[in-house]
Amino acid sequence: MKRTFFLLSIIALLLAIPGLPSGFDVRSALAQEPIKLTFWNYWDGKNGETIQALVDRYNAEHPDVEVENVFVGWGELLPKLQLAVVGGDAPDLAAADMVWMPYLANSGALVPLNSFIEAAGVDLADFYPALLAVNTYGDQIYGLPVSTNNLELFINQDLFEAAGLDPNTPPTTWEELADYAARCANPAQGVVGMELFTQPGEGLTWQFQVYLWQAGGEFLTDDLTQAAFNSDAGRRALQFWLDLIDSGAYTISDWGLFGQGQACMVMDGSWMVGIWADTAPFKWTTAKMPYPADGQPATNMGGEHIFIMAKDEAKQQAAWDFIQWFTSTEVQLEWDQATGFMPVRDSVATNEAYRAWLNETEPRLLPFVEMQQYAHNRPPVEQYAELSDVFSAMLERALYGQMSVEDALSAAEAAVNSLLR
Amino acid sequence: MITAAHVRARWQRANRRGDLSAAMIALAPAVVLFALFNVYPLFYSGYLSLMNWDGFSSHREYVGLSNYRELVESPMFRNALGVTVKYTAGVTVLGVVLSLIIAVLLNSGIRGQNLYRLIYFLPVVTSTVAAAVVWRYLMNPGNGYADVFLRSLGIAPPSPSWLRNPTWALRVVILVGVWKRLGFNIVIYLAGLQNIPKDYYEAATVDGAGAWGRFRHITVPLIAPITLLLVIMSVIDAFLIFDVVYVMTDGGPLGTTEVVGLLLYRQAFRYFNLGTASAMGWVIFAIVFTATLVQWKLFGTREVGV
Repeated sequence: MKRTFFLLSIIALLLAIPGLPSGFDVRSALAQEPIKLTFWNYWDGKNGETIQALVDRYNAEHPDVEVENVFVGWGELLPKLQLAVVGGDAPDLAAADMVWMPYLANSGALVPLNSFIEAAGVDLADFYPALLAVNTYGDQIYGLPVSTNNLELFINQDLFEAAGLDPNTPPTTWEELADYAARCANPAQGVVGMELFTQPGEGLTWQFQVYLWQAGGEFLTDDLTQAAFNSDAGRRALQFWLDLIDSGAYTISDWGLFGQGQACMVMDGSWMVGIWADTAPFKWTTAKMPYPADGQPATNMGGEHIFIMAKDEAKQQAAWDFIQWFTSTEVQLEWDQATGFMPVRDSVATNEAYRAWLNETEPRLLPFVEMQQYAHNRPPVEQYAELSDVFSAMLERALYGQMSVEDALSAAEAAVNSLLR
Repeated sequence: MITAAHVRARWQRANRRGDLSAAMIALAPAVVLFALFNVYPLFYSGYLSLMNWDGFSSHREYVGLSNYRELVESPMFRNALGVTVKYTAGVTVLGVVLSLIIAVLLNSGIRGQNLYRLIYFLPVVTSTVAAAVVWRYLMNPGNGYADVFLRSLGIAPPSPSWLRNPTWALRVVILVGVWKRLGFNIVIYLAGLQNIPKDYYEAATVDGAGAWGRFRHITVPLIAPITLLLVIMSVIDAFLIFDVVYVMTDGGPLGTTEVVGLLLYRQAFRYFNLGTASAMGWVIFAIVFTATLVQWKLFGTREVGV
């Protein structure tokens, strides 16, 4: 008897494990409940507060839907999405880094948006084409851009003035950049003139790509099948970095010196405008990123795209309604002003109220808005993450003086080509 | 020699007394959980290691042993193995030697022994990631305590700074590993030291043995089984290092701290080469398993009565 009871209690315990089918239809019992949507994104700080406020407002205005805004760190989001897809509990919608889109779109886990877009009559022509390109595979659109950003020059005015430089006449060419940086650096105080990103990984790669494009180079060939950076432009860009190190304008260090007031200049993203406006304990301004006198203006583009993973049709429709609302011109205007993200729609960028707001409240965003037209796209290939890591690992060897510029780029070319094969 | 007949006889004897089914029921939850979360993933990863799969798509391609072949040929994997062996050797040797010395000192009747034991044990129960973040602050270039301290002594800190310096980064990571492990080793050693009969030391002292002689000829041999246990545990633990490196250096600079655990994480969760990552997992398992067997055989099984 005792043993039977023991056995029964174990069976009861096992049955209580969540996930085992219980034969109880939750949906029919809770028919009056709003549709619950889980929304994953990695916006934190001020951006996180803004998205939470927008979601809260959306929920208040739409009693039949309840969007749950879930923060997942940038480094964890993609692996978590992967595990969730395999485990069958993917979020209903998510906003993620544009570089992951080739991979996500090819996974089969994203819901094509074409029919929703057509039914809603959304004007796709209003979105920047370079942004849409990242979401379009074949004739299917798997996501819409919600925010973008680019890289321009930040200047620490206090350090500039201490070095006898005028922050109102920022450098405009590489030559001036190198000159200013060398004059402003103060190794005894741990102050660098121009901060570079020298840790291997995508941070290094995407910063370097700007210099490469400015020198007239390309990262991959147009058909995305081969490396194209082992060129005169690539060698010139890498040599420029090495010269900054050799002249003492930069010393290899962890990224983040500018924010600590330890760098006179840095090329960083438009998203830092909102962050440093609140947190930087020094005066700073921005300028267009200098480029070679015989080169061309260029910058790199990042940002987030929103997409649907829900399997259930009612949830897909509800998720699309949220996306349509979030990407609408009015909400985007509010979103861009609160976060400092660059507009993804022409109707926002050219909106008079937005322009007036920029001039009045945050003119330091102007260089970014003006340069968005020169923003390039990182190659939308599935292998990009690994490709970026092996590329940066080779560049790191050149930066540490273990390989010549030529050898590092050749080695990187071989490594990248073998990944693309 | 135990034969199948023996087992069967014992089974029947046990079952007649009714012990066995009760034992099996009591064990069932643990066994089910173990099977679900340990045994199943183990074999599943073995299966995955023969596949090319990105973790998302429904398409899996059988590639035989080619994932393993690529690993053997990969200079990155070889580098990572080398780094991991260096890290493991550093943490194990330093951790065991230092902890024995400290344990002997603590055991010599020092006042406030419990307080010291607590202090040394604190890192063991501290969250590794939190500790690694704090260590990164300590080693921060310019304003980190390590730099400030060295400069106050008139010594110039290395350039590039510690964690970006190919010579120093792994040493710092090893230091953190030792710091984290020391307390555990000390507590185990202290327990062992207290089991050595005092008579031995007294007899040796009468025979004219000095402190070093007593340590060398009494403590070290008698504590050997515990040393073996600690070495084996430390090797297994250190070989699987991931979190400290992930937080402090992410494998840099120049791959000098790129341990196999980190490479596996990258292959699985950054590049989504689940086949390669699974193959790597099995290679790591095989290495750790072999290393443990070798230590067991070399240093005598009889002595490990723990």
